[in-house]
Amino acid sequence: MKSMIKAAATAVAIAASASAATAADWTPPGPIKLLVAFRSGGGADTHARLIAEELEARHGWKFIPEEVAGKGGLNMAAALKDAPADGTVIGLGVTEFFGYSMAATPKAGMKPADYTPIITTAGFQMGVVATSGRGWTTIDDAFAAAKAGETLSFGVMSPRLADLAYLLGKANGVDFNIVSLRGGKAVFDAINAGDVDMGFVAGLQTRAVAAGDMVNLASAITKPLNQSPDAPLLLERGLEFDAEGEFLFVAPAGLPEEARAAMADAIEAVITDPNTKAGQMIAKAFGGAVAIKGDALAERVQAEFDTSETLLDAASE
Amino acid sequence: MGTLDYIWMGILSVFQGPELFSIFGLSISVTLIMIAIGFLLGIAVGATPGLAGPIAMAISLPILISIFGFSPDALLPVMGFLIGVMKGATIGGAVPAILFNTPGTPDAYLTTLDGYPMTQKGNARRALRVAHFSSVSGDTFSDIVLIVCAPFLAILVEGYLDLPEKAALLILSLAFIAAAVGGAPAKGLISTGLGLLAAYVGTGEDFYPRLSLGSPALSEGLPLAAVILGVLIVGAVAHELTTYWRERGRQDRQDDPEGRDNQGLSLRLIGRIWPYICRSALVGTVIGALPGIGSTLAATIGYTLGRARHEKRKRKGDPSFGEGAPEGVAATEAANSSVSGANLIPVLSLGIPGNAAAVFLILAAESIGGFTPGPSVFKFSTEQVNPELVIAFGLFTCMFIANFLNWTIGGLIMRAMGIMTRVPKQMLLPVVLLLTLTAIYVQETAMVAVWITLAFGVVGYLMRVYGISPLPFVIAFILGGRLEDTARQAFASTGSDPWFLFNNPIAAVFMALSVLTIIVALRLDRRSQRSAKVSS
Repeated sequence: MKSMIKAAATAVAIAASASAATAADWTPPGPIKLLVAFRSGGGADTHARLIAEELEARHGWKFIPEEVAGKGGLNMAAALKDAPADGTVIGLGVTEFFGYSMAATPKAGMKPADYTPIITTAGFQMGVVATSGRGWTTIDDAFAAAKAGETLSFGVMSPRLADLAYLLGKANGVDFNIVSLRGGKAVFDAINAGDVDMGFVAGLQTRAVAAGDMVNLASAITKPLNQSPDAPLLLERGLEFDAEGEFLFVAPAGLPEEARAAMADAIEAVITDPNTKAGQMIAKAFGGAVAIKGDALAERVQAEFDTSETLLDAASE
Repeated sequence: MGTLDYIWMGILSVFQGPELFSIFGLSISVTLIMIAIGFLLGIAVGATPGLAGPIAMAISLPILISIFGFSPDALLPVMGFLIGVMKGATIGGAVPAILFNTPGTPDAYLTTLDGYPMTQKGNARRALRVAHFSSVSGDTFSDIVLIVCAPFLAILVEGYLDLPEKAALLILSLAFIAAAVGGAPAKGLISTGLGLLAAYVGTGEDFYPRLSLGSPALSEGLPLAAVILGVLIVGAVAHELTTYWRERGRQDRQDDPEGRDNQGLSLRLIGRIWPYICRSALVGTVIGALPGIGSTLAATIGYTLGRARHEKRKRKGDPSFGEGAPEGVAATEAANSSVSGANLIPVLSLGIPGNAAAVFLILAAESIGGFTPGPSVFKFSTEQVNPELVIAFGLFTCMFIANFLNWTIGGLIMRAMGIMTRVPKQMLLPVVLLLTLTAIYVQETAMVAVWITLAFGVVGYLMRVYGISPLPFVIAFILGGRLEDTARQAFASTGSDPWFLFNNPIAAVFMALSVLTIIVALRLDRRSQRSAKVSS
């Protein structure tokens, strides 16, 4: 018995040291396919590619980015679900995919537990944005215009944001024409081109707001926007839900712990380094890196899934 | 950032891009070399009967992407290469037409009418020189029009068209392509409809995959490259092979022409053909700017106009059109070459491809990312650099470099390419097929993509057997997603108004034009069928 315990203890010690060693110098068994759930050319896609580029330079890992956009991230999630869980296939999405999108489609049979979240990279500076040519300074001006009889269209890039826009209008006695566009860049372009009157934009507006071409009418997150601290919170305008969320890298469920840890650490080092292109872009467009990993991230994703059901109920009333 | 700054940055992005090597301290960017390689390849495939520019573009695209990767740095070298192929193939097509009476590209058929008689009279070299000079002049002219018009048109579109008008414009383009390509509008409509059907597999706003028949391979939609290469290349190869099989032994190749002349291109001859080149270049540019019509019609109109003028003005003793008139070669070549630059006007300003070459340029931009052809490209933002605009000017620079190569060494290489016509088809076509399937596998890294390519190869083959042009299919497949998105958005932004395409004046005009296009095309088609019956 004693020898058995000894043997077991030795085995555990060896296993622990082995995993400690491998977490530090884990290398992917082949090129890593990076499934990007966003249209190429937008902020989400660009930051993913910049991170991949820096990881290639630092660790020699080879990345093959692939665009798998559409269906609120479920296309990417579906492609990732049955992929090998050895670090050769990972995806870039947002927490919303594992919350709202999956909660809204129980038939698709996907749940957060089917995935191993690796690390978040950045949060959203999600604002309601219009061109400054409209002459509005806050969301209240838009409400006033709508109440005066103007028909306003509201650009959104996901079904969850469409629900938020609907509930926002409902809470303020206004009926927006809600236009679903493909990705934040499409919303940004549509606002610029005058195709929609306003819309949710999550960071791409930074430069245009600084240049005075666009205005942040309101903040859709739980705190004021870094760039426009005076813009009111939508939470103060009768909306009970926020548009908080983070970009995150995910792998299929069952990714070995050392692979998860190695990837999370490597990505964290890149996004928090202000000397990398990725770090600079994240600081500029998304207001700085947000690196949540490990158990905290798993809980964050599950919580998002749970609150989404309440939002769905509210929006379907 | 002013307009001039953008132009300058575009030029620099080509010359100062990633360095390949340096000569005497002068660094040579990889983009320059890629343009040159593409140009040489283009002349070679243009000169090879059975191959054409689009085939070379299709096969090289996936291979180039796997070499250069998906970073924005890859855009100019890859697209520069494709532009080189496009330009090279345009002049290469005249070689077998003039030397052996076998047009290398469909629109070079009219070149055989006067080019081959010139060869028979011992003037092959002069015919090639006339073809080259006219082709390059037409091409350069249409590039200039492109560069002046595309930004202007894009800004106009963005300024005046809202979502309903944009949806109507897409419908009008599809109607136009269905009516204009391939002769019979009913067949064009079938081709367009099938393309839209393929585009709607697995896509859409709903969370569940549409039309995927429960297959996971289809649930993300059909891979763009697999469908396009299947229909365009595999279908063409299969059709060529069966035609070869049927007609084998029947064809006898003409003897090699004897190079017994040494006539160059005198200033007097240039003076004689110049008016023909100018008219044809104008015709080709106007036709090229309309999506889907293509160079064959341009060549026909250029040739017909040229013949009318020639009959009136020719001196006694000069050969008529069809008997070896250099003016005939000039009129045809200038017209079909000036289509290629103008064809990019709808691509860059609206994101609507007009011909197969443009399809591959869009495919390259979509695969690599970072450049979305369409109105947003030409946003002359002053505060921040618009990288897409820099790339657009980079592409224009690539075109002018290709034109420069064309003016300087193009003629020399073109005259050396007569040898390509000796490549036997039964060896060439299987190689093309193998390369296509390899290229697909390289890009998609999944066997299912190869099966999809072969399946659409069958579709492409059947379409050719029944005389249906596959080009409307491909263009509808590319535009299908955009049409659906824009229509949905227009519907939403008008407050779910079901008549959004009709109750706003510009959109209503576009819709009326769409219907009119189809009706006129059907009438013309019926009339030509009737006259064909009468004459037979």
